[in-house]
Amino acid sequence: MRFSTMDYFVKETYKSIRRNGFMSFASISTVAVSLLVLGMFLMIFLNTNNLAQYLESQVQVSVYMQDSATAKELASVKDKLTKMPGVVKVTQVSKQQALERFKKRLGDQQQLLSSLGKENPFPNSFEIQVDSPERIKVLTPQIGQLPKVETAKFGQEVVEHLFQLTKILRFGGIILVVFLAMATLFIISNTIRLTVFARRKEVIIMKYVGATDWFIRWPFLLEGMTLGFCGAVVASLFINSIYSGLLERIHATLAFLPLLPTYPLLLYVDVFLLVAGTGIGALGSYISLRKFLQV
Amino acid sequence: MLIMSDVSKVYPGGAMALQDVNVHIEPGEFVFVVGPSGAGKSTFIKMLFREVLPTTGSIFVNGVDILSLTPKEIPFLRRQLGIIFQDYRLLPDRTVFENVAFAMQVIEAPHRKIKRQVMNVLDLVGLRHRANAYPNELSGGEQQRIAIARAIVNDPVFVIADEPTGNLDPETSWDIMDIFKEINATGTTIVMATHDKEVVDAMGKRVIAIEKGRIVRDEKEGVYGYEI
Ligand SMILES: Nc1ncnc2c1ncn2[C@@H]1O[C@H](COP(=O)(O)OP(=O)(O)OP(=O)(O)O)[C@@H](O)[C@H]1O
Ligand SMILES: [Mg+2]
Repeated sequence: MRFSTMDYFVKETYKSIRRNGFMSFASISTVAVSLLVLGMFLMIFLNTNNLAQYLESQVQVSVYMQDSATAKELASVKDKLTKMPGVVKVTQVSKQQALERFKKRLGDQQQLLSSLGKENPFPNSFEIQVDSPERIKVLTPQIGQLPKVETAKFGQEVVEHLFQLTKILRFGGIILVVFLAMATLFIISNTIRLTVFARRKEVIIMKYVGATDWFIRWPFLLEGMTLGFCGAVVASLFINSIYSGLLERIHATLAFLPLLPTYPLLLYVDVFLLVAGTGIGALGSYISLRKFLQV
Repeated sequence: MLIMSDVSKVYPGGAMALQDVNVHIEPGEFVFVVGPSGAGKSTFIKMLFREVLPTTGSIFVNGVDILSLTPKEIPFLRRQLGIIFQDYRLLPDRTVFENVAFAMQVIEAPHRKIKRQVMNVLDLVGLRHRANAYPNELSGGEQQRIAIARAIVNDPVFVIADEPTGNLDPETSWDIMDIFKEINATGTTIVMATHDKEVVDAMGKRVIAIEKGRIVRDEKEGVYGYEI
């Protein structure tokens, strides 16, 4: 494409966006709001996913022994556990240690201890760390089969719930994305329809003087892409400042929450939004051109 | 060279606009197409730039069968033609210069060439000094001169005009005709549908008369031949 042609397209696009002032503004706003919601959603999703993964990596298998197990049997189980593939570390927790831990956790509510009675209700146990989260699911039932093992379990509930949540988020996200994309497509194609209408005389003359179809289409496509891009820029700016602010606040109060840091997360999200905005803009105008521009 | 052979046109709805039209126009000719209202003049003109397709027959422009063109090729046919209408069809939100330059931008001519060439054709139609005016600041005759400038700015082989003086008074029509004569003098072929008896009679050019869709007369140095 010649430079003079590009120059021409850019000027035409600019003129058209200005001429459609209000509709251009409405389109940019709609794109911005849609992408803002989409972006926030993406952040929540990515963070939940991250949290689930983090917790999963923290997971250890707890092996509770029957009270009838002798010291020798305990040692033999420990030995077997240590030799299992993927096991990184085995920590033995005696009945006494378990009770101590419980006391510590109770803090200033020690009176609850009396309700336990004289007997130490805590079993002997082992805490096992494995090299990868996937191993846990395989190992846990195997461990359960070992002699004198009462139960073997991993803190699967929280993680399963979180994964459940990310699944729901993913599903809801897809529905939301489709819905928002349709709304955005609608408003952009509507704006471009107005542009096509405003410029129908020009299009007719262009055809008489020998413009190719693509020459006629480009300014309209560029207009849609520009509207989408501008909306995405606005959405990105909002997302960036909201997330940075949120992180600062959370670090001050809930420091242990493993939220994703701004870099590279925001970079990815911003790029995603810009591409999505521009793409939706192009698609929106294309739909309109197909319908209303008989070239 | 323009050739129509055995061309007929039936519009959807049944109007028989042209029947068995055979025409042969040599390079550099100046041809008037005359006839009563509804005779098929505009249909004849529109078929030359593939605005209207004939129902039967074939049309050749410079040896190319224009009915076999794909949609992608049509723009390149039109670049060989300068098309002029009765209602000027200028863009009201662009200056005179921009209206003419538009035709060059559309075919992706380089910037520098555009400026030079637009000024040349504005000179030719005598409106260089109005380059920065808007169409609504010009008289009808001046607007038509701009439309002519736009039609010839890309050096077309043919200029095709449908009643270019239809909205103008006789005096102004003569000015317009002088411009067409000048364009024709440079070797450009001109095909013009018109109702302008005085002009046709005075110019002494080839006249093709159409009635009810049929060519009833085709004379080398013809006259209008109808009472108005
Ligand atoms: N798009 C169309 N659809 C149907 N019929 C049409 C169409 N265009 C023209 N016609 C018919 O074809 C015939 C020829 O029309 P055309 O416009 O070619 O006449 P004309 O000679 O240019 O007339 P005028 O001098 O009034 O401009 C007329 O009967 C007209 O009603
Ligand atoms: Mg007509």
